Amino acid sequence: MTASNEYRFQVNLSGMIQILSNHLYSSPKVFLRELMQNATDAITARTEAEPGFQGEVRVELTGTGEHRTMMVEDNGIGLTEADIHEFLAMIGQSSKRGQQALLDGETSFIGRFGIGLLSCFMVSHEIVMLTQSAKGGPSMEWRGKPDGTYTIRQLDTQLSPGTKVYLRSTPDAAHYFETEYVNEALFYYGALLPYPVTLHSDGVQHIVNSQSPTWLMEPELARGRRAEVLAFGERLLGEKFQDYIPLTTASGRTGGIAYVLPHAVNLNAKRSHRVYLKRMLISEKAENILPDWAFFVKCLIWTDELQPTASREHFYENEKLEEVRSELGDALRQGLADMAESQPERLQKLIRLHALSMKALAVQDQEFYAMIHRWLPFESTRGHRELGELMDEGETLYFTTSVDEYRQIHHVASAQSMLVINGGYIYDSDLMAMLPLAVQHVKTERLQPDEVSMSFTDVPPSERNQYYDALRLADSALQRFRCRAEVKGFKPADLPVLFTLSQESSTLRALEKASEESTELFSSVLGSLSSGISSAGYSTLYLNINNPIIQRVLTSPDAQMTPIAMEMLYVNALMMGHYAMNRQELEVLNQGIVRFIDWGLRANMDRKGDA
Amino acid sequence: MKTEMDFEDLMDEAYGLPNGTAKLGMLEEAARVADVHGMEEEAYEARSEIVETATFCGYPMKALIAFSWQLGKFDQQPEQYDEETLMWSYKWILGELSSFPEVSRDKMMELLEDFGRRFKSFGYSERSYWYYRFRISMDLGDLEEAGNSYTKFRSMDRDFMSDCEACEQDEIMRYWILVGDDEKVLEAAKPILKGRMSCAEIPHLTLSEILMPLYRLGKMDEADKHQAKGYRMIKGHNDFVQSFAEQLDYLVRTNPAKGIDVLEESLVLAMDHEDPFAKMMFYARAAQLLRRWADESPGYRLRLPASFPYEGDPGDLRKLAEYFAAHAKASAEKYDQRNGNHHVSSMLSEV
Repeated sequence: MTASNEYRFQVNLSGMIQILSNHLYSSPKVFLRELMQNATDAITARTEAEPGFQGEVRVELTGTGEHRTMMVEDNGIGLTEADIHEFLAMIGQSSKRGQQALLDGETSFIGRFGIGLLSCFMVSHEIVMLTQSAKGGPSMEWRGKPDGTYTIRQLDTQLSPGTKVYLRSTPDAAHYFETEYVNEALFYYGALLPYPVTLHSDGVQHIVNSQSPTWLMEPELARGRRAEVLAFGERLLGEKFQDYIPLTTASGRTGGIAYVLPHAVNLNAKRSHRVYLKRMLISEKAENILPDWAFFVKCLIWTDELQPTASREHFYENEKLEEVRSELGDALRQGLADMAESQPERLQKLIRLHALSMKALAVQDQEFYAMIHRWLPFESTRGHRELGELMDEGETLYFTTSVDEYRQIHHVASAQSMLVINGGYIYDSDLMAMLPLAVQHVKTERLQPDEVSMSFTDVPPSERNQYYDALRLADSALQRFRCRAEVKGFKPADLPVLFTLSQESSTLRALEKASEESTELFSSVLGSLSSGISSAGYSTLYLNINNPIIQRVLTSPDAQMTPIAMEMLYVNALMMGHYAMNRQELEVLNQGIVRFIDWGLRANMDRKGDA
Repeated sequence: MKTEMDFEDLMDEAYGLPNGTAKLGMLEEAARVADVHGMEEEAYEARSEIVETATFCGYPMKALIAFSWQLGKFDQQPEQYDEETLMWSYKWILGELSSFPEVSRDKMMELLEDFGRRFKSFGYSERSYWYYRFRISMDLGDLEEAGNSYTKFRSMDRDFMSDCEACEQDEIMRYWILVGDDEKVLEAAKPILKGRMSCAEIPHLTLSEILMPLYRLGKMDEADKHQAKGYRMIKGHNDFVQSFAEQLDYLVRTNPAKGIDVLEESLVLAMDHEDPFAKMMFYARAAQLLRRWADESPGYRLRLPASFPYEGDPGDLRKLAEYFAAHAKASAEKYDQRNGNHHVSSMLSEV
């Protein structure tokens, strides 16, 4: 008896396919993953019913050019007629509930099966499915088209249990049906499957995943199989790796291999770990499965405890994922710790390549920091050096908390061979502040630009008194720049002055600079803001008593000359410190130069007059 | 050894960093290098980035300063720069303006008019003007004016310069919170909580704002769910200090132990925060929480950040609570003076 019925979906199928391809799936190529997933689910279901059952998946490619046909067959549980009606009904329901229902994902096996099958319409104008349920009943055929029409009939012959899906490529999708492409894709999706996936094409057949390694399920075994693990990583992840760390979580339900990237990565780079859920590839770009700091590795992860999103391409961000993520992070950290213990040179190589990532991790984890601190690179007044070398100098490590502060004091500090570390780059000042907590017998101290004076020699009060008049003239001249003068002795002697700026005065400088350039309205707003900044916003101009010019300026105060000289020294210090000058300061510079030329010429004339 | 990185290096480095203080430092350095070398277009580019980064990392003052500079340059040479980007950031500036009590009411209104005039001149919809009028009126505690502007902006057409629907919806929700109509708050929050509206900062903000309204309506289970999820989304982000305050407000009442976790994890962000309003709210809620915790867990020593400017004993929670409360009240006073009402201090009535 043959029964064939022509039906039409009571749904807008093309709209649904639109939604699937535009919102749910990242590319048409996922149809193959969906078919594999359906096959895997079917085999899993049959294995549960018949323990010891050996599943298999066969894929056959026939035809040429733009008219290739693909058949995907599994020997899983199969579908009864009732099952078919159920998944069709599911599709109907989710289409009526609209896009959100589709994207939220069905959780029942049959629902997922149906939606997964629909993805094939992205590459084929017809889907034919033959199926025989392991529970008995007649073999069934379902033929569907993207316009929503389909037929269901019982077959006369009895097939063996399982499901076959036939697709014929549309011209646009032909390349998804090429032997080589399918072969690679099947390997990606099914590399970890515990039963054979066979590809038949052009009269040749071979098992795609014949080399699914045992150590993937027991990452600890990977330690002794270096060459094999690296080769597998290269084939699957497409990079030539040189190092890896096996990962497992406490429950043993998630594990994998973290391959160390052979090149430095940008902090913002998208993470792209490859994750297998219940041994089927679920994501090639899982970002949230490892902690953020783990950007120096690309991982192969397998898990059976996380919940996929509707697109099956990511995981729901929930407590469970957070737990898995932190456990994988711990495992990675432990791997690095073991490396520090047993193969420090391997770790050193890794740190040099991924310093930023290592610093990020060290900030979060004191023990880890203690372990690797010696190899972390820092910029200092002794050049770019590793922290271990800097510590061996046996001094207090001074550090700044911004690039700006470092710039202000670095030449003075260098001249006095003071060791100062630039803490202005990401994580560096935190690491410096934490160092004494993590490592014994080391002192670090934050240096503020206005503290550079520590390494200045003080001028005794009796001597300072001699300069009293000159300093008063200096202060009143510098008043309008909110700057005050101080006499100190420092090296190098040929540096006449040094300008330092506190945090507040730095904000004020920026504010005034903007105010000068801005519209009237905004200038007045900025004006009202600057009144709110504390009067601590004074900068300091240090006058170097070891410098002959300064000596002369200080010992011969002159109501006319001294203020001008001070102003000139002030703008000169700004230039040396690479500060952007405001209008007032630029004017001082221009006028001052002109005045000095004038005086010089006049002095010349006077001397000629005397002759 | 090269001690100076050049402009391109700095910008490259900055683009490679995630939003945060380090990135901001790089950008400021780049702006400085551009200024010193008189490279105006580069200086402008760096400041565009500063405005955006600072806005989304909790540095409203830095954003305002950089924007002011940009606007002046733009007015001198409008053909040189892209007005859309600049006008878009004008909205961020207006959104943060009220946090600075030094800026008077009149100035705020003047800026709003300037903003409106500019939007008109570029042919953008007036909706943005009324929407920001709505927001600023709320900031000033002027609820009647806010209500008028609310009706007005909803009647106008959206355009590409309008804020996204999720952000607008969040502000509408805030309006009902201020009015004190919790049922309406829930209604306004629905499309966000259902996940139908979202953007970079929504639902992050919403999940904390909704806690107290839910609490008052006795919907604790739902509130707990949003609290956990909301905190997960914002934890450790400098931009959400006010949201931490809202979380504390709720946890004081329902789960002070969890509140203490949130306080210890976020205090380091709040203490150096550039937005005085967010800091005030955080300190106020911290004070309430510490008083409650002193009753529940006497002898507990609060973990304070190393650089926290408090000389007293961190085990004397009542004293510490006083310290936080005093700071919050002093700030509230300033806002009240500027606003000419008790809108802000009434938010802190329980402190």
